Amino acid sequence: MAFKKTAKNNITKLMTAWSHDFKIMVPTRKNSVIEFGDWDGKDVDFWVWYRNTVVPPKVFLLPVWEEMIRFSKNNHGWGLEVPGSEQKVLIFGVRPCDARGMAIINDVFKDGYPDYYYDIKRRRTVTVGLNCVQPYDSCFCTSMGIDPAMSKDVDVMLIDAGDDFIMEALTDAGAKLLHGEFIRSASAQEVQMARSMASSVTGKIHRKLNTHGLSEKLLDRFSDTELWEEIAAKCLSCGICTFLCPTCFCFEIYDESFKKQGSRYRGWDSCSFKLYTQMPMENPREEKWKRIRQRVCHKFEFHPINTGNFACTGCGRCIRLCPVNWDITQVIAQITGTMDSSLTEPSKNKV
Amino acid sequence: MEDDLKWQPRVVGLLCKWCSYAGADLTGTSRKKYPDNLTILKVPCSGRIDPLLVLKGLMMGFDAVLISGCHPGDCHYQTGNYRARRRITLVKRFLDYMGIPDQRIQASWVSASEGAKFAQVVTDVIADVKPIGPNKLFKEEG
Amino acid sequence: METELRIEARNLLEKGTVKSIIGFTKGSLKFTTTPLFIRNPDDVHKLVVNRFIKNNLAKYLAEVKECVGIVVKGCDSRSVVSLIQDKQINRDNVVILGIACPGMIDVFKVEQLAGCDRDLIDDISVSDNVAIIDFGGRRKEVELSQVLYDSCLDCKCPVPTEYDLLVSGLSHIGRNEDVGKAKIQELKRMLPEQRWTFWKEQFRHCIRCYACRQICPVCYCERCFIESSEPRWLSPMAQWQHNLGFQIIRTIHVAGRCTDCGECERACPQNIPLRSMVGEMSDLVFKMFNYQAGSDKNAPSFMAAYEVTEAEEIFR
Repeated sequence: MAFKKTAKNNITKLMTAWSHDFKIMVPTRKNSVIEFGDWDGKDVDFWVWYRNTVVPPKVFLLPVWEEMIRFSKNNHGWGLEVPGSEQKVLIFGVRPCDARGMAIINDVFKDGYPDYYYDIKRRRTVTVGLNCVQPYDSCFCTSMGIDPAMSKDVDVMLIDAGDDFIMEALTDAGAKLLHGEFIRSASAQEVQMARSMASSVTGKIHRKLNTHGLSEKLLDRFSDTELWEEIAAKCLSCGICTFLCPTCFCFEIYDESFKKQGSRYRGWDSCSFKLYTQMPMENPREEKWKRIRQRVCHKFEFHPINTGNFACTGCGRCIRLCPVNWDITQVIAQITGTMDSSLTEPSKNKV
Repeated sequence: MEDDLKWQPRVVGLLCKWCSYAGADLTGTSRKKYPDNLTILKVPCSGRIDPLLVLKGLMMGFDAVLISGCHPGDCHYQTGNYRARRRITLVKRFLDYMGIPDQRIQASWVSASEGAKFAQVVTDVIADVKPIGPNKLFKEEG
Repeated sequence: METELRIEARNLLEKGTVKSIIGFTKGSLKFTTTPLFIRNPDDVHKLVVNRFIKNNLAKYLAEVKECVGIVVKGCDSRSVVSLIQDKQINRDNVVILGIACPGMIDVFKVEQLAGCDRDLIDDISVSDNVAIIDFGGRRKEVELSQVLYDSCLDCKCPVPTEYDLLVSGLSHIGRNEDVGKAKIQELKRMLPEQRWTFWKEQFRHCIRCYACRQICPVCYCERCFIESSEPRWLSPMAQWQHNLGFQIIRTIHVAGRCTDCGECERACPQNIPLRSMVGEMSDLVFKMFNYQAGSDKNAPSFMAAYEVTEAEEIFR
């Protein structure tokens, strides 16, 4: 597809044009928490402070909670209603790590039983990616095979080129966006320069996770109870790492009703929760170390064996937001015996 | 607007079986009239009242929750109402801080022989709740 | 302070008085520490004491079945005592290594003052109650009170009163209730409807990760009320009504045991001001019943106790 460009000054006008067909979601800051929120139609200053959100954009395809069916008793029996919206959504500013996360989740949902709720959201959502310029010290996407300056997992990829954005449409839906008076053609030279500038970001990512032979090593140490107990010791079994992970997709389905009406809901669930595998007779992962082992092995052993992809994009949210600083890169380093390479510069704090 | 004028508070009463519930019963058998806005739920003791019961009552849309038990010292289970005291006091004050007006949580001691008092309590509670309007706290707007 | 602690930790492990020590060590992010569990006396050099040891390690005592040593600050030591009062742990099973807490630095406040995120800040240091922030070649010096956590500024007692060893060295700047309670005071100045709207809007963001519950040392129930499906009190769905309901009930459930350590607020990934709930509850308990959680290990649990005459005001 041919490369296009648009002036940064024109972004508001371009997004306004897009907003005729789409609800635009942009990075916003509420309570000092960065999240994708409704675009107010004017402000595009977010790239001054936008690095990445707390809740990844998977939330637009797999919401924290959603109503699946609404049921109520009437004179003729039971009425069923499936709430939903046809509103098209455009997510502006998706980082390559999150875009890959959405692709990984997409892979999971496209096989087997069609998931109606996921599908309608997937069909009506377009993503506009944005290259990273200032990774966090918790980021390690490069170790997971992701280029922070480029993504093929979005509909349109934007690369910051100073006064302009270089734009590449990667899907038909993306190509439809790149029309109109604010879009011009970009020359090969401009594209090359922008890519060159953008690629300097990889030098800013210091955190590494050694994936070499990782699946086999995990298989080796699967039964090492002492190791997993040590690894799991400080984990609190909250849901932060799983909920904020761009590749995690576990959910639970609940029915709530009162008298003659109710709803069936789907909501996020976490394999870190103790009750996740609770069954009437037993709980196979009652102990915390078993849950941690399952989480690590799912991401770095089972999912890769089943699909060829690690279920991790190196976005670093689990490290950045864990209340006790449980760090997957340190854990993997410990398992693979490469302790030194995963630590960042030690804290220089003096009291 | 008309709905607001016609609105009558709906209060749920969590009455302890041994004293307050019996007292409410006495009000009835004495043919003493009192407002009919109260839905009565019987609990074994005021000490059984869980803050969840109070919150759930408000979430379900009741305009106020009335908790009533035996007078301190007269609890059928000896100490149940002492426990209720700390609990209900904290619930009321804390919910008031959160923005739930404290008129929505009411409490009284009514013994099995205080039929007249019970009628008065209910009347006073309704009078307290009417000025603050219906409970729309947990409703979603739009 | 660190040396004293490490020597004692080594002692305890070598003698076998404790099977393990729960303390803090350097974290993998700047200005972060992380809990550390050591069994080998040779590992004691990893223990650190500084102004970033914010976690309340008392949480881990609920899981532990052997005699352990635990590093605690003032608020944490009171959580340990709360657990003893609730008979969740035995006083004989825990060796309390108390730190006279100098107050913990709130990196979020530092970020606000520097105008940049933590990983772009070069260094945070303290000298004579002045906090020095180095970032991008610039230096900003502020009063230490501007960068401490609200819960630390509001701390009634930074020095543990129940301990087996007390390590001190740096003193606390003293309580500043005005700043420490500023958010709560602001809420109290609002009308009830405004307060409710404030909380409603806050809890729209809650994703029900339960970090607040999981990090709280006194939330040790095997089966939390929220997990009850028969009766289903509140929904696991993250609707604001149920999010707010969950937190209200959790706050009431921890009343009298919560030591206002502030961990719940720090853990929340959505920056919901939870201390404005549990802190106020802790205050209510103190004001109305003159009871401070965890100050006396022999006192009965607050909610399990009663006075024959008290709290009659609300009863008709």
